[in-house]
Amino acid sequence: METTLDIFVKAIFSENMIFAYFLGMCSYLAVSKTVKTAVGLGAAVIFVLLVTVPVNYLLENYLLKEGALAWIDPNNQALADMDLSFLSFIMFIAVVASIVQLVEMLVEKFAPALYGALGIFLPLIAVNCSILGAALFMSERQYSTIGDATAFAVGSGIGWFIAIVAIAAIREKVRYSNVPAPLRGLGITFILTGLMGIAFMSFMGIDYKSEKKDDAKVVTSQLAPNNNTNTNKLPE
Amino acid sequence: MSEVAKTKEPKEPLFSKKNKQLVTDPLTDNNPITIQVLGICSALAITVQVKQAVVMSISVMFVLILGNMIISMLRNLIPSRIRIIVQLVVVASLVIIVDQLLAAFMPDVSEQLSVFVGLIITNCIIMGRFEAFAMANKPWPSIMDGFGNALGYAWILVLVAVVRELLGSGSLYGYKIFGSAIPGEEWGLYTMGYANNNMMILPPMALIVVGIIIWVQRSRNKALIEEH
Amino acid sequence: MAVNRDSNGYTFAFAITLVVVVGAILASIAMWTKPYKNANDEVKKKMDILKALLPSEEANDISRKNAAEEFVKYVNMEDAVVLDMNGNVLEGEDAFSIDIKKQYRDKKLKAEEKKYPLFVATNKEGKKSYVIPVVGTGLWGPIWGNICLAEDMKTIQGATFDHKTETPGLGAEIKQAFFIKGWIGEEVSDENGFKKFEVVKDNSGALPSKIDGITGGTITSKGVEEMANRCLEIYVSYFNNLKK
Repeated sequence: METTLDIFVKAIFSENMIFAYFLGMCSYLAVSKTVKTAVGLGAAVIFVLLVTVPVNYLLENYLLKEGALAWIDPNNQALADMDLSFLSFIMFIAVVASIVQLVEMLVEKFAPALYGALGIFLPLIAVNCSILGAALFMSERQYSTIGDATAFAVGSGIGWFIAIVAIAAIREKVRYSNVPAPLRGLGITFILTGLMGIAFMSFMGIDYKSEKKDDAKVVTSQLAPNNNTNTNKLPE
Repeated sequence: MSEVAKTKEPKEPLFSKKNKQLVTDPLTDNNPITIQVLGICSALAITVQVKQAVVMSISVMFVLILGNMIISMLRNLIPSRIRIIVQLVVVASLVIIVDQLLAAFMPDVSEQLSVFVGLIITNCIIMGRFEAFAMANKPWPSIMDGFGNALGYAWILVLVAVVRELLGSGSLYGYKIFGSAIPGEEWGLYTMGYANNNMMILPPMALIVVGIIIWVQRSRNKALIEEH
Repeated sequence: MAVNRDSNGYTFAFAITLVVVVGAILASIAMWTKPYKNANDEVKKKMDILKALLPSEEANDISRKNAAEEFVKYVNMEDAVVLDMNGNVLEGEDAFSIDIKKQYRDKKLKAEEKKYPLFVATNKEGKKSYVIPVVGTGLWGPIWGNICLAEDMKTIQGATFDHKTETPGLGAEIKQAFFIKGWIGEEVSDENGFKKFEVVKDNSGALPSKIDGITGGTITSKGVEEMANRCLEIYVSYFNNLKK
């Protein structure tokens, strides 16, 4: 069984939202020109993930999943058989969008200074696919407790934060390099992200299940990492 | 919708120069992927094989045209403060309805497509066009805009997929171009020691291929070059 | 426009109308399509069992249209059994209706409560074969399949693997014939009991039951390995009891 720490570390590195799943790419590419704005957007993403994923987890487990409504009345068979999972996409989206809206209003009212710094990023986040992606992954992977789901949310957020701050820092430096003119801006950012993605793939080699390993698996675990790409000729 | 557009604007023909431009612009100088930076997430995830890129393109075209039309018809009703939620709900419901209908009546197609459901809903190209075009334009131009942007999205997607499938798996649309690499049954180039570039199959290579496409495109049209 | 579109009242009214309309449309479509979807799922399950069971030439002829009638020809549901985690038969269970995918995903279900169905089929020559449904985890999401054992209850005669979310061209290749071919003819047990499988690159690896993996699809291949080992072990103890 995965521990909460496993889930957390995995979400930051080997299952990084940007480099492994390409989620949240659009704002990642658009808002990574300077480190300062990247930090702002990254922090906002962490925060929104931290709030929306647990809310969606509760919704999923106590409202939408087949049999999830059983808590209302354990003896009511009709409630136990109710399956509202067809609504989950809509519900997740509604939760994300309304929480972003709510946070925006609250921050504007009670912390105008923070709003000045974060404000323009908040509406952007509602359309950031990494937020909805995290909700869908959470539902797909069936985390057993809300703690695990939250660890996953924070981990994903931190992973996204690291990715956008790193690319912004590189882009600030690249500005002084002699990049071929047609490649400047977007082009070089794509290629840099690709190279960073390849680097991040090495984290796939982390074996999270090491304590359960038996003799048979020791031999094969050396093969498990996906970092060695051009290995043997095998059937495609 | 064409009738409505006609009756409202009798002076402007359906395929006027302006409307045609809505379709042709996104193909090159205003391409959703290489210029507007929209829809990257899904573009990269499904370009390992041409077949999937084609299926994804068709699905996006369908959702984008229909969604643009609906948003454009509702544009005078949607309160501006919650417009993003409304847009998200429209696109998600569209996709879910189509998905459910396919699962019930065309189960084989549904098996092929079900992977894409999440990808389409989270595709920012759809949200981006709603926000940038459909919210401010009449239904017919919105349909044209949806069609054009979906085409612009499609050709980049298919191009990236062609490069990746050909070099990575030695095939195109599932047909083995370079022969077969299965041990004991090798034929074609593989008997001469050719090996597939497995690197091309990895997701980061999609980014690098798109980067190269941008390079080529901007070398041809200097006006698109950015400062930094 | 007469109505102020930015007023709170209008915003709320619009939001509520939207939620009601969308909710009603979605709910009615979901309810309307549910019977069709359940029927499709049932046919699909029969198709998968048949595909693992039959030799590849015949399996290619199985489609949604003829799956139900072909299924009755080969598989006798009277013979199907349901096992617990120790390989003991559970009485009074319907093997076909057990959803092992749901059971696998449900983390709150205890290992002892999980049920393992086994389908028994008889071919035209009267030989028996055993179809074991398996389920596990790939790289991105669940993977599942059926493994069919021949009459001796240990040689793999056929298999199917399926998935929804694995990387196309990499992990997704577990569906392909060349990967399944590697499993056919392998034995799941010897005189010492259950034999572990290993999905490897080339001919590396120490265990005798080796299956060629998929380049670049290592994690999915490993998922199939884990799935086969975990699920088959339960059935081997049942078969051993049966042989005695």
